[in-house]
Amino acid sequence: MLRENTWRAKLFDLTLLIVLLLIAFLCLLPLWYTLAVSLSEKSAAAAGRVWLWPVGLNFNSYKQIMGDGSFFNSFWISIQRVVLGASVTFFITTLMAYPLSRSTKEFRMRNVCMWILVFTLLFNGGLIPWYMTIKELGLYDTIWGLVLGGGVPVFNVILIVNFFRNLPKELDEAALVDGAGPWRMLLTLYIPLAVPVLATVTLFTIVYHWNEFFHGLVLTSGQENYPLQTLIQQFVVVINTANMTEDQYKRMSELSNQTLNAAKIFIAMVPVLIIYPFLQRFFIHGITLGSVKE
Amino acid sequence: MAKRFMLVSLVFILLLSACSGGGNNTENATRHTDNGNSSTNVSGEKEATEDESKEQADPFGKYAETITLNYGKEVDPTDKSLPEGDTPENNQYSRYIKEVLNIDTKVTWQAASGTNYDQKVNLAISSNDLPDALIVKDSQLRAMVKAGQLADLTEAFEKYASPSVKKFMEKTNGVSQKSVTFDGKMYAIPSIQVQSDGVHQMWIRKDWLDKLGLEAPKTIEDLEKVARAFVEQDPDDNGKDDTIGIAGQQNGGRLYANFLESTNNTYGLDPIFGAYQSYPGFWLKNESGEAVYGSILPETKEALAKLRDMYANGLIDRELGIRKSASETVTDGKAGIFFGPWWMGYGPLPDAIKNNPEANWQAYLLPLDADGEFNAHMGAPSTLFVVVRKGYEHPEAVIKMLNLLVRDESTFDISVPIGHYPLRVPMSYTDESEYSAQALREVLAGTKTAADFTDPGYKLLAADIANIKKVKKEPYDNLDIEYWDPKADEGTWKRAYSLLVGSSSLTQDYNKIYSVLYSQTKTMESRWTNLKKLEDETFLKIIMGAAPIDDFDKFVEDWKRQGGDIITKEVQEHVK
Amino acid sequence: MRNQSFTKHYYIMLLPGFIWLLLISIIPMFGIVIAFQDFNPGKGFFQSEWVGLDNFEYMFALNDTPVIFFNTVFIAVMKMIGNLIVPLIFAIMLNELRMMIVKRWIQTIVYLPHFLSWVILSGILLDVFSYTGPINTVMTFIGLDPILFFARADLFPFIIVASDVWKEFGFNTIIYLAALTSINPSLYEAAAIDGAARLRRMWHVTLPGLRTTIVLLAVLSLGNVLNAGFDQIFNLYNPLVYSTGDIIDTWVYREGLLNMQYGLATAVGLLKSVVSFILIIVSYQLASRFANYRIF
Repeated sequence: MLRENTWRAKLFDLTLLIVLLLIAFLCLLPLWYTLAVSLSEKSAAAAGRVWLWPVGLNFNSYKQIMGDGSFFNSFWISIQRVVLGASVTFFITTLMAYPLSRSTKEFRMRNVCMWILVFTLLFNGGLIPWYMTIKELGLYDTIWGLVLGGGVPVFNVILIVNFFRNLPKELDEAALVDGAGPWRMLLTLYIPLAVPVLATVTLFTIVYHWNEFFHGLVLTSGQENYPLQTLIQQFVVVINTANMTEDQYKRMSELSNQTLNAAKIFIAMVPVLIIYPFLQRFFIHGITLGSVKE
Repeated sequence: MAKRFMLVSLVFILLLSACSGGGNNTENATRHTDNGNSSTNVSGEKEATEDESKEQADPFGKYAETITLNYGKEVDPTDKSLPEGDTPENNQYSRYIKEVLNIDTKVTWQAASGTNYDQKVNLAISSNDLPDALIVKDSQLRAMVKAGQLADLTEAFEKYASPSVKKFMEKTNGVSQKSVTFDGKMYAIPSIQVQSDGVHQMWIRKDWLDKLGLEAPKTIEDLEKVARAFVEQDPDDNGKDDTIGIAGQQNGGRLYANFLESTNNTYGLDPIFGAYQSYPGFWLKNESGEAVYGSILPETKEALAKLRDMYANGLIDRELGIRKSASETVTDGKAGIFFGPWWMGYGPLPDAIKNNPEANWQAYLLPLDADGEFNAHMGAPSTLFVVVRKGYEHPEAVIKMLNLLVRDESTFDISVPIGHYPLRVPMSYTDESEYSAQALREVLAGTKTAADFTDPGYKLLAADIANIKKVKKEPYDNLDIEYWDPKADEGTWKRAYSLLVGSSSLTQDYNKIYSVLYSQTKTMESRWTNLKKLEDETFLKIIMGAAPIDDFDKFVEDWKRQGGDIITKEVQEHVK
Repeated sequence: MRNQSFTKHYYIMLLPGFIWLLLISIIPMFGIVIAFQDFNPGKGFFQSEWVGLDNFEYMFALNDTPVIFFNTVFIAVMKMIGNLIVPLIFAIMLNELRMMIVKRWIQTIVYLPHFLSWVILSGILLDVFSYTGPINTVMTFIGLDPILFFARADLFPFIIVASDVWKEFGFNTIIYLAALTSINPSLYEAAAIDGAARLRRMWHVTLPGLRTTIVLLAVLSLGNVLNAGFDQIFNLYNPLVYSTGDIIDTWVYREGLLNMQYGLATAVGLLKSVVSFILIIVSYQLASRFANYRIF
């Protein structure tokens, strides 16, 4: 990187650092608050007495969420979903992105296929037909329903296509001269070069599958098949008081348990906190013409 | 390649449509020829039903051969009470049903009560993918009736419902029956809730009253004085100007209960409207017997003007309608007064007392109107309904299960919550809370004993009586917080406190105002959202000073013009 | 010559994706017919009564429709702009930072608000802006009168947009950062040799290098021009701010509470899709006509 040692440059750097740190701090505050609430005593949280430090420190909400066997069962389902989901998505979206990144000269139907994808991004029939289709396909109550239910992540595909298109044409030509066909070009050239964008979309996919709870609710018959977020989300469901029964009054104090809600957020963030720093290794700089740098 | 795709998908689409739409055509045809002979049953069963109609139908009759009943179940995810090996599908209740009635109940899907369960039900209804039986709420029931998805239960109920079940329904003076009858036919079995859920009382910090030398306010003027004292005289003794007189609804809450959501409005301002004989949100009959909507009547304008005054004087929570959580003002010991139903002992009081052990919350049927009477609008007696899908061979099975529940509930071991009983809807005497409160008082006073209360319809009473002394200290007739021991048994305390403090006052005389209608009419389906938006916006703005009181008159005009008049006529028809 | 043999391979590569697309996204599209029906689930899609454009007429006939549409578009467009520009600036700034470890941590931290659901965030916002909350405390400290923020219809849209940008800027930052890595470093060197200072280099090298990504994200975000953010607004609005805060989705939701309005919800969805689609096509055509650039 270019280095300048003038005081002006150093001042610039310092200001930059301070501004960025301030912004990061601002982003951290609500999270910190949420963590504090999740570790606080229920009544104190209910009274709004928690700010940035837990009141009545305890791990009760985490114990409650993680305390029974269903937690680990759902955890395992989520892991399966994430691994299968990330792999299948990676495989299919990368495969799709390559032909779509070709010019119309090289691939005549390219625009048609692209617009079909964009169309599906915008138009959909709604929940009911989607649900009925999934059931007809026999994907109800299966892990594949969860993995495939979200459909092709068109946004991710478009990102990869865009990235592929921006790679220099000279690379293509060089490879063709070497006698490479599309498969070899994709595997040996494009994928290694596209590591940053592939890491990005993989991150998005992992996060999506980890946090998605609605499909987990409607595509399963009950708790034994819930992925983790669906399981946890149950604890913080809202009950309409107008339809309550006596049993539900008993749950009132549970339902208004803000510490549970807060703890749930944290469990949701765990994979990101673990995986994202790891994936950042791939957000590296540069390619140079004529060679591939790792 | 592309063409073949198209063909395959076309075929697919046609197949799917056949599956979803075709199957129900025959059912639609038979519905209209129904003449009370259970002809909606699959024809193969014709012989069997004829035989049954000859013999006397036994409400508890065991089936000769095991029948299966698939249902969707609402579960409580926090409930850990099931013994090892039991599941929501297979537990003491389901086994009991199998043993006594020979019905094998199977859970097709289960979901957490609240929005999760709602969504599963909505999805089942919309995609026409229904289990044999379900519990639904009013709007879902109407959708299912409209879609022709339900079995006609008129005859089955007539023949199989036990006398006790019928008695529960009769006690509601026909309101429950009406809520499940469409075109003269009964399509669901209603729940019967306790009426106390709909009565909103004034909960007030008696310890603050004592400290400031005040009495519980009886009239609106008294209420204003007390609220002002609470705000200005630092009753929580912390030197800070942080107390609230009257707590109000939070962001997203209801200012008052309305005819569609008629119960359990905590932190609303219902009794203040009642003190002006105003019942906004309810459909009433005026002196000429015509149906009118409470929100457009002059009494409501009066009430709003007073509320506007009170707000301007700082007596009501300044953050009315925008506060994150109304219960926080109570649990944090900042509010002196709030309005809610009898069961506050379940929440927010436990947290409030934990944070503040001297918080002495007592409940009163106050404030009174100009005639010295308390006016309460009453809730709908039925908010949940058991339905059976059209085409299921044994609709009476559901009725038998309910019969069994009602008969034997008091004998069950309730360490496993009764909610696990398949297709259970609450069936209570509407006066259960008041009756229990009275019974407890008498037992504590020593004038009666447990043996005097034997009606099994009051299912929890025996347990209540047996446990009351665990949490109530002497003197028994003083209900102040210092004579209670919540820590001894929190579960018992919650119910006992709610009953004794929350329900005792309900045994007094007060005016009960019922809505003439608790569900929608045809035009409401398209117009009500808009009318309600107008109402909510106008009223809150008037109270908080963002609009002048005379905007009320404009509201009434707009309301009538934008569909209110048409709807009023429809309600009138319904009432006849 | 080489094109023909490759084309077969291209189709093979597209096959798995398109099968998945067909099954999960395309076939369910038949459900769009509900928008033109008085849908009766008992009768299904092909036997429910056809009512043509009734559902749409109903939507447009209400008094509030112009206001609701305006609110939706106003908030959505402001969000689009905010969510495009703020992450861009942030990504560029972050890119200039040299300390790798700090950079990575900041990158991770700013992505985290994305995970806070609006249920919890709305609670935090309501508290932060409450009459006795931190913002008002600071304001009284510097001598201003405290404000009842959420009672103010005039302030509501801005609170909505600002909090949404705060929550989501980390997401787009990631995309920009990834795109930044593909800018040839030698371009920076060349510019420096030519005497360009930091800011100049940003303007002449970084921004143009990100141009395609910016345009792409901008056009894709047009797909959300009628999505003002249901979850967020639903958890934050109240009757006092209906005049600026009630959007299409919250209105449809309230309708759906009363009765199950299948036809209406689908009609609204269809309308949104059509509008978005038209906008995207138009921008695509504009870009290809005038800038000779195919966005995707």
